[in-house]
Amino acid sequence: MEQNNPTPGNGLKPPELSGVIGFFDAPDLLISATRKAREAKYRDFDAYTPYPVHGLEAAQGIKRSPIPYVTFLAGITGCAAAFALQYWTSAVDWPLNVGGKPFNSWPAFVPVMFELTILFGGLSTFAALLFFCRLPNARKRNFDPRLTSDRFALMIEAPLHGEDPEEAEEILKAGGFQKFSEEEAKGFLKSVGAKEVRTVYAEGWF
Amino acid sequence: MENGHTREIKNPGPFEIPAQLRTLLMFFVAVGGAVFLGGLWFDARRTWFSFIHNHFFFLSLGLGGLFFAALQWLTGAMWSAPVRRISESFTAYLPVAILSFVILYFGIHHLYIWSHPEQVKGDLILEGKAGYLSVGFFMVRNLIALGLWLFFAHKMVGSSLAQDRDGNFSYTAKNRILAPIFMILFAISYTMASFDQLMSLDPHWFSTIFGVYCFSGLFYANLASTCVLAVYLKRKGALEGIVNENHLHDLGKFMFAFTVFWAYIGFSQFMLIWYANLPEETGYFLHRFHSSWIYISFFLLLGKFLVPFFALLPRDAKRNEGRLLGVGIFMLFAQWVDILWLVQPEYSASGPVIGVIELGIPLGFLGVFGLVVARFLGKHNIVAIRDPKLVESVLHHHQ
Repeated sequence: MEQNNPTPGNGLKPPELSGVIGFFDAPDLLISATRKAREAKYRDFDAYTPYPVHGLEAAQGIKRSPIPYVTFLAGITGCAAAFALQYWTSAVDWPLNVGGKPFNSWPAFVPVMFELTILFGGLSTFAALLFFCRLPNARKRNFDPRLTSDRFALMIEAPLHGEDPEEAEEILKAGGFQKFSEEEAKGFLKSVGAKEVRTVYAEGWF
Repeated sequence: MENGHTREIKNPGPFEIPAQLRTLLMFFVAVGGAVFLGGLWFDARRTWFSFIHNHFFFLSLGLGGLFFAALQWLTGAMWSAPVRRISESFTAYLPVAILSFVILYFGIHHLYIWSHPEQVKGDLILEGKAGYLSVGFFMVRNLIALGLWLFFAHKMVGSSLAQDRDGNFSYTAKNRILAPIFMILFAISYTMASFDQLMSLDPHWFSTIFGVYCFSGLFYANLASTCVLAVYLKRKGALEGIVNENHLHDLGKFMFAFTVFWAYIGFSQFMLIWYANLPEETGYFLHRFHSSWIYISFFLLLGKFLVPFFALLPRDAKRNEGRLLGVGIFMLFAQWVDILWLVQPEYSASGPVIGVIELGIPLGFLGVFGLVVARFLGKHNIVAIRDPKLVESVLHHHQ
């Protein structure tokens, strides 16, 4: 499996270390390992599973997603836009007498207001999901083909990647997170029960 | 999750309500009974209108308890296992509902103009409906419906209670067969009951969606009452280690969804009638919009839909038992006002009438409902302790 990673010293630019990854056979092992990684104050780590695992976000300490606020605002916008469109077309721009009803007949507008609330809310949620998950990303590679079938992985990433080094150094000194070392992180993953541990080199995103 | 699969859930056993609360409920029954009898002497017609209002409200609460439980067996739901018994406890009211329907027999002439042959004669619409709207047929078919509901409650809740003793899976299997049969019969019979008991108060008017409208209120009120009772029992410490905020979150999502469902059905009924503008249909809404009933109509839009909608919209609100308790009680109040809005304009077209009769009679019904539910909870485990889904449900949410 090691051949997946570019070997340093092959004449090309030496690949950048991006982290170490450990593989697990069961979701509950992954959850407890993830919890320990958080307790050990690793700054950047991520879990990979073939299907959604209940309780993993809590173990990772992931904060609530901002997506609901996007949905809410988009829904309100859709509702207002639908009313504005119908009001303008039927009462301002081209008033028509329909069955003797007032031009601004709000009950007739409600179904469209409902539909556009859903449409705006749904499409914006999808767009926000892509944005916050930084998708689509065709370059991001699969660390192991079995991650989409029966393996679970925890990756501890080398931090200070693309960040202000001075600021990062200060947080590090204050004990905000653990300094990353390849050997130490590998040892940690083995100690929390990883079946297999590998080093991951930068490629695409990493 | 560690060692989770072997974990035993401690049986909370039955729940005895505090003596003070029992005394209060008995006091309510006495007040309600006195107001009912006094009201019959003082203003019989008005009293009967209040009686059928509260009869239907509490009948729907009791039947809603069976509907919710049947829904869980039908779908094989896992999340609801710790709260299903709470909903089952409401079915203890169904025998009382039969009694109150029998009492209603004596008010038929005060409530339904179709029961007066001299008023039907010469009225083409009522003459056409006379075959269906006759006192004998009315009593028989509604008693059959009530008997059917009681039969299913006896069978299905009985199986659920029997499973507490030996944990035999065959009880669940039996309920899975009965639940879909009940669902089909429930849809037809509850539609019939709402047409007969409420819609025929104005026998010239008709709306084919009326049964669905009443059903949306039934489920709305059932979810609110299940949630309120679950939070009450939880606060009393009776559901320790069984019901947590994740189960309440699921109930809160259901409450939120059926707030929207009620608004959707209510608006569907209104919009079609408003759009078509046919004289035999619009009168119903004219009564409710062109008098001080308009305030109650606005209250329903605001209080039955918008307030619970926004109060339950944030995730944290659905996980907060205090918020759920407050919203649940408010939703029950809104449902009570909704039935008032369905019933009372036929008594008082100019606007709502709220007096000793309208406040005393619901207290009496509330007292009876509270006492029979308390008796159920005092006799049986408040959690279906040997339900095959219970361990999974409790652990799933603890993970």
